[in-house]
Amino acid sequence: MELIWQGIKRAFLLLFSGNREVYEIVLLTIKVSGIAVIISMVAGIPAGLVVGLNSFKGKRFIVSIINTGMGLPPVAAGLLVAVFLWRSGPLGFMRLMYTPTAMIIAQVLIAAPIIAGVTLAAIQQVNPKLKTQALSLGAGKWQVLWIMANEAKLPTLAAIMAGFGGVISEVGAVMMVGGNIKEQTRVLTTATVQFVRMGNLSMAIALVIILLILSFAVNLILTLIQQKENRTWAQRFWR
Amino acid sequence: MGAKILEIINLKKSYLSGFSLDIEYLSLDINKILVLIGPNGSGKSTLIRLINLLEEPDSGKIIFDSADILQKTKEKSVFRKMMSVVFQEPLLYNMSVYNNIILGLSLRKIKVKQKKQIFDYLIEKLNLQSLLLRNPKSLSGGEQQRVALARALLLEPALLLLDEPLANIDQLSREELRSDLFNILKDIGRSTIYVTHDRNEAMILADNIAVINNGRIEQAGRKNDVFRKPANEFVAKFVGVETLIEGIVLECRDNVCRVMVKSGNKIGNKNSFHENSDYINYSYENFESNDTTNKNIYHKNGHKIEFFIVADAKPGENVILAIRPEDVVLYNIQMSHEISSAMNSFRGVITDIQDIGIFKKVEIDCGFKLVSFVTQNSIERLGIEPGKNITASIKASSIHMFKS
Repeated sequence: MELIWQGIKRAFLLLFSGNREVYEIVLLTIKVSGIAVIISMVAGIPAGLVVGLNSFKGKRFIVSIINTGMGLPPVAAGLLVAVFLWRSGPLGFMRLMYTPTAMIIAQVLIAAPIIAGVTLAAIQQVNPKLKTQALSLGAGKWQVLWIMANEAKLPTLAAIMAGFGGVISEVGAVMMVGGNIKEQTRVLTTATVQFVRMGNLSMAIALVIILLILSFAVNLILTLIQQKENRTWAQRFWR
Repeated sequence: MGAKILEIINLKKSYLSGFSLDIEYLSLDINKILVLIGPNGSGKSTLIRLINLLEEPDSGKIIFDSADILQKTKEKSVFRKMMSVVFQEPLLYNMSVYNNIILGLSLRKIKVKQKKQIFDYLIEKLNLQSLLLRNPKSLSGGEQQRVALARALLLEPALLLLDEPLANIDQLSREELRSDLFNILKDIGRSTIYVTHDRNEAMILADNIAVINNGRIEQAGRKNDVFRKPANEFVAKFVGVETLIEGIVLECRDNVCRVMVKSGNKIGNKNSFHENSDYINYSYENFESNDTTNKNIYHKNGHKIEFFIVADAKPGENVILAIRPEDVVLYNIQMSHEISSAMNSFRGVITDIQDIGIFKKVEIDCGFKLVSFVTQNSIERLGIEPGKNITASIKASSIHMFKS
């Protein structure tokens, strides 16, 4: 128990004492996972909507690919990125291996299918007759997409949460393609692994607590948005 | 005949389920209300979807606003924007009632200001003022459908398609909304196709009626023509004819035909005395007989049942007589032709009395089954009860006859 208490005390000390190394680690974690989630949203949400709203040949195949992607082991995603970015690999000339960019790419591979998959499931829950009604009201293709996305907005926020939760807590892929280089590619998870290996358990606990707080904060914000959306639709749009 | 906003020509669509829609011709005059009436699964909604270009037909033409809209000369949404549909479900979106109502305008990039007059009118007539800020999810079914109607009507469409808009609403709200909707439609005079399976709605609302069954139009025409002169058995039953009798035309003079009832009638004749007997013998000689009275009194032990009908037909034709229950008048006494102007009087026995709301439905066995609607008051005055003998009279002009 002593160990845990010490870890917690240490964590808050580190947070408020302005330890530069910890701040850098936290900032890089937010930056890498944040950018990865934003890219995943931009790619995953429209993909989920388009696949979910249209029927076309091979739709089942695409859906299974997305679903497989949702369960893609992070190590596999990391390996895939590593193979491509390795110095002698096809994209080795870009010299991205062991950089934050490589970590972002790996995290996008993990988060984009999650966001696309949950969006897809969400949009399929929306009454398909609402699409017919939108068409009937004279909506064009993009207007239909917009109207239907609006119907699936709240579950889509959940998709973003799931995606963010998936990447910020991930360790295998970022370790593989980032390399946990101090002050360059060291994030909360890889640093935690490092400190445990070094026997510095209290430091590891401190970092995990920061990770939990970070994860909690992001989810809290999204949840608040979700709840607020539910309540104040009418007021917000009254003109 | 006014100008037509919509014409449907040889429209065909088959489904894997085996159902097929085949509309030879159907048209809608500008600013008239066409009620499309038929049983569930008859293709009413399919037709609406085809007109709204939500489905593609296998072949045929839809001429809307003088353009063949199946030719794909323009985007589908161009034509859809000239129509509005209200479906059976309200189909509202997760936004305020206000935003739902103006959604069609938003999609057309039209400002509400430009439509202020009709907007205010609809909000008032449909009683939506207090609901504008609410989310549709918190509204009752009837309120939701009011919102959907406002959304459709606000667009002032060239063609309004209403697909059973009142079918899913509880009785009380339905009657209220029905009268509100009908008043609005009368007020603003839109070209409308109104789909329903409720003949009362058709009766109140329609200028014209098309009866659809199994994907085909059974009869289309002015409301009174369809109601008074159904073209066949299906239509007759659907528009509320309770008594259908098979007969043979004996003679026609001065637009009045004598028709003899076939015994053992297959239709509407369950409790007939003659159920198991052969067809009554008749011959042309008999008709030339000295029967000069225009009266036709049925006697229980008699053999010949004849009707006089205002119609024109050839002797020997097989026909079906359609009698609306409200046209059958009951008398407590034995009638003779001196007493009444009704040319058809039958003596019969009351077999059943059912309560159907305002009226009582009285079934009388006159050798054929005859149904009459009378009020509770009449029941009491005449002492109508099962087993009682009664005389039923029908004017020759109230009976409709069509070939069987």
